[in-house]
Amino acid sequence: MFQKIIEKINLKYPIDVVSKKSDKLMFLTVHKNTAVNTVQYLKDDLGFKHLVLLTAVDFLEQGKFQLTYLLNNPDIKIDIGVRVLIERESATMESAHSLWPTIATYQRELREMFGIDFPDSPGVNDEFILEGWNNTPPYRRDFDTKAFAANFYHQRNSRENNDPSAHMKKNLYPNE
Amino acid sequence: MNKFEKFSFDGDRTAYPNKKADGSLDIDLSSHKYIKVWQGPNHPGITGNMAVELTVCGDEVVEAKTHVGYLHRGFEKLMERRRYIQNCPLVCRVSVPEPDYNEFNYSTCVENLAGISVPDKALWLRTLALEMARLQGYLMWIGGAAGTLGFGTVGQWSNYLRDLVLDRFEELTGGRIYHIYILIGGVRNDIPVGFKQRMLDNLREIEGFMKDIRKVLFDNYVFKKRTIGLGIIEPEWIYPYGIVGPNARAAGSLNDVRKDYPYGKYSELDFEVKTSKQSDIYARAYLRYEELLTDIDLIKQILDKMPDGGEFMANIPNVFNLEIPAGETYVRSECTRGEYGYYMVSDGSGFPRRVNVRGPSYTHAVALLERMLINANIADVAQIMVSLHTYPPEIER
Amino acid sequence: MGIIKDIVSPFAVWKHFFKEPVTIKDPLNRIAAPRYRGFHQNDISQCIGCGTCEAICENEAIDLVAVAQTKNGDSGLRPRVDYGRCCWCALCVDVCTTGSLKLSNAYTWVDTDGDNFRFTPGIDLKPWDSLKDGYTKAKGLELYPLERMPMQHLHAHQRDNSFIEIMKGYSKEEAMAEADRCVSCGICVAACPAHMGIPEYIKAIREDNLEKGLQIMYQTNPLVEICGRICTHKCETVCSVGHRGEPLSIRWLKRYIADQVPATDYYRVLNQDKVEKNSRKVAIVGAGPAGLSAAYYLSKLGYQITIFEKLAQAGGMMRYGIPEYRLPYDQLDKDINYILSLGVEINYNTTIGTNVTMDELHANFDIVYVATGLHEGRSTRIPGTEHANVYQAIELLRKITENKPIEVAEKIVVIGGGNVAMDITRSLARLQKQKYGKVQTIATSLETEDIMPADREEVIEAREEGAIINPGWGPREIKILNNKIQGLKVVQCISVFDENKRFNPKFDESVENFFEADMIVESIGQGMNLSFLTEKYAEQLEKDSRGRILVDTLTYQSSLPWLFFGGDIIEGPDVIHSVANGHKAAKGIDNYLNSIQK
Repeated sequence: MFQKIIEKINLKYPIDVVSKKSDKLMFLTVHKNTAVNTVQYLKDDLGFKHLVLLTAVDFLEQGKFQLTYLLNNPDIKIDIGVRVLIERESATMESAHSLWPTIATYQRELREMFGIDFPDSPGVNDEFILEGWNNTPPYRRDFDTKAFAANFYHQRNSRENNDPSAHMKKNLYPNE
Repeated sequence: MNKFEKFSFDGDRTAYPNKKADGSLDIDLSSHKYIKVWQGPNHPGITGNMAVELTVCGDEVVEAKTHVGYLHRGFEKLMERRRYIQNCPLVCRVSVPEPDYNEFNYSTCVENLAGISVPDKALWLRTLALEMARLQGYLMWIGGAAGTLGFGTVGQWSNYLRDLVLDRFEELTGGRIYHIYILIGGVRNDIPVGFKQRMLDNLREIEGFMKDIRKVLFDNYVFKKRTIGLGIIEPEWIYPYGIVGPNARAAGSLNDVRKDYPYGKYSELDFEVKTSKQSDIYARAYLRYEELLTDIDLIKQILDKMPDGGEFMANIPNVFNLEIPAGETYVRSECTRGEYGYYMVSDGSGFPRRVNVRGPSYTHAVALLERMLINANIADVAQIMVSLHTYPPEIER
Repeated sequence: MGIIKDIVSPFAVWKHFFKEPVTIKDPLNRIAAPRYRGFHQNDISQCIGCGTCEAICENEAIDLVAVAQTKNGDSGLRPRVDYGRCCWCALCVDVCTTGSLKLSNAYTWVDTDGDNFRFTPGIDLKPWDSLKDGYTKAKGLELYPLERMPMQHLHAHQRDNSFIEIMKGYSKEEAMAEADRCVSCGICVAACPAHMGIPEYIKAIREDNLEKGLQIMYQTNPLVEICGRICTHKCETVCSVGHRGEPLSIRWLKRYIADQVPATDYYRVLNQDKVEKNSRKVAIVGAGPAGLSAAYYLSKLGYQITIFEKLAQAGGMMRYGIPEYRLPYDQLDKDINYILSLGVEINYNTTIGTNVTMDELHANFDIVYVATGLHEGRSTRIPGTEHANVYQAIELLRKITENKPIEVAEKIVVIGGGNVAMDITRSLARLQKQKYGKVQTIATSLETEDIMPADREEVIEAREEGAIINPGWGPREIKILNNKIQGLKVVQCISVFDENKRFNPKFDESVENFFEADMIVESIGQGMNLSFLTEKYAEQLEKDSRGRILVDTLTYQSSLPWLFFGGDIIEGPDVIHSVANGHKAAKGIDNYLNSIQK
């Protein structure tokens, strides 16, 4: 089943990597400039009309964001995740709101949480979850939640933790 | 012709509000024809806090905007800095009324990526916990939905009935709300002695009350008058708006994750996917009522078919050192609101690289609700909102 | 019709007006379910303060706070829970290594001071401490494997007539799986006499970074191949995982790292090229574990070391006491040769007092470190021990190593229940099997089986090899007829130690037994021979009331500042203790010389 789908896509758009997870789930890596076209082709021609989710993964070390469009074909009950790697620096991606109106919500969240821009997506610059946020987009991996909380909120200085082996050294054989 | 007719909403109102040449809404707030009304963030029919910003013209809503963020705790980010096992007590908090779906999806994701196979008994116990979660989720919803229309009594009953299920949860898992029952590799304990009988007694009581609720709510003139023909979801909206669960099934869809992608022990259970054509508030409410009865039946089947004894936990590697090979997966299950999914990416370390929660309310309460509220009467907004069965925490995670 | 029905039907439920209300009248005293996750209980007598609860807590609600240490293998810490952070997930209960931590099913607690909600369960007494119900870890739920990864080994029939090494060592998969069981609590570090970085080198195995593992081990122990095989593994007796399951195989994991790194890589891995040499000279008497350990750490500090060894090869008791099937000579040589390759000079067949005198050592070296060990066998002194066919185990073991012929009779009785007794029993059993095709060796000891000092596995394996272990008997007389040994007469031993825990055996003379034998081997302990010190130095040394040489407990320096002692003569027979005090002596010597040359 997957083989046929891959062959069909390959006739139109290039696929870089195929990773099959099970008989029901497969991930494809495609090029940035053909990604939305590939998604549209899957939706319109191959029956993957249910958008399960759109999300991003921050691969900070490689300087890339991975966008995952997870599509579902409710007739043959198969999922395909279309992955596309985009540059982390001034990240931008083509909007897909013409395919599903609801994808605008996902894109709005990604804009806010990861700082990925989707030009022309309706309301993409509106605040979604955060209010008055002017720090690093919080879901980026270089944003340290714990350090932020430590600086931002009052800390109750009450912890006095001990490591068992260090404590035993201190008590039992301090000079060795 | 009565004196209220000029305020009636019968007839085609889709041309309102007028649009500008560029397609945007022609709403001039300085004209004094419009007023902004905030519904929420506290609302009895919604589990959690969410506000809808309404622009109304007279009684009619001309624009709606969903505002979330009151419950944002950044779970997806928090998960990235915790060991895989440490997330088990965390994920349940993503959706308060039905935490088990988070536990199940999260654990299954980890098991898929780490190649852990779960013992048969654990699958039965997971299915039991999930169905119990559905049952109490629907009970809570029925109370909220009735309460929105002023039927406080139903809310009292259903809360009592939900408490009965929570009593069983307490007995099974040690917690009433956050069960933290499903762990990576299985579940935390077998059912206690005498659990089955107590559960069956509770189910009998719930069934008895359900007959009364039917009389008070579904055979009630007032309820019918306020719900039939209102808040219609067109069948062609299902895929564009990503509509799932009872909201989609009331519009004629047959999609149910339990049937389409059986997980747990659903392939060994006998049940029908309920569906409807009317797609209005009443149809959705009645569909949920029917599903609630199906859940009662499923719990009985599970208790009947579940083997006694047996391993409920796999032999898992040391959770302190558990590292999972790089990969990604998606796991879905059918909660009361529809398809609930977890997308997990691992990078070979002891911590997840990314976890994304796909809550059904994400699409229902934002894009769909904003669409549905246009041209609605402001008095009906609450019902429409509640009829989508929204849990705000799963929108903002 | 329908409308009327719809108007009337809601009134049908007025019947509920007559029903009992369901509200719980006294919610504060409602009893929670038996599994309810309420407030913490901690059984302080069981808790060892390993800190797994603290490590698993996602909310950082648990701190380890200091309390009085109660027992061996107890860190002296106890978990303090902050209910401002706790979410009652009970993962701390699930991972508790001893099973001391529980959640009671109490769930109401009213207090006016918020800080009271931070408490140390079991130490701050609470009303729910006595409650029986509550959340405990279910049987069948384990979040880390409790069973030890078994090691491939030779079976009895494959090993009972040869001295081939029994244990084959872990494969990579086995070692990884065993290393995975570690919960990294660090309780073991204090139990190890050398305080090896055990959790760290086990982590290096999990990371498959064995060179790093070797570096960590050599920080505290330069005899890792040896200790990886024959260490008395005090660490494993306190291992937190061992409280409910089998302790980590720490010794085998150490061996795994040492086995995997080739000897030729040691120099590079251990950064030996970075050592700066100095002109200080140290003489070490005895090339046993203490002497070798001191030589290694002193040479790491740049010292010039000369070892004087009485026998033909280095290793001391490790070579001449421990049989080859437990510690093969090539592995022994791997550790020793590495130390000797660092420029350590060694003089074999050199006895102090005969070939070289203490005066010469004192004159030519800055420091003399004496670690001559316990090589003199003790006798039971029962009638008949003067017979020529009564031997000392330690002498026989030495001869077996030296490949010298020894007498192997058809029927042998070994007196003793320690590891040396097991070593000679099993060695003789092998030789009997080779010579006669069958084993007729009996080992007997005062101690009954439950308190026998030998390692449990030694006893089991000796029996597998055909030897008979018959403990709980006190030797009375060796029967000799026509100048030929007939056997050993024994009586039942009732107790070995008196109420003051002093050695004071009591016997029931009415219960006698007789073990037939042509040859008797005594293995009841060893003593030291320090006659080489000569009276001149022996008299200057301060001694305690029992005649033992007094040394500084940290540096092992004696009352003669240039003379240090170490090894078994100070600590009693144990390799890892000797390694540890060799290391400490090296640091002590360095500190002392630095202090006087300032």
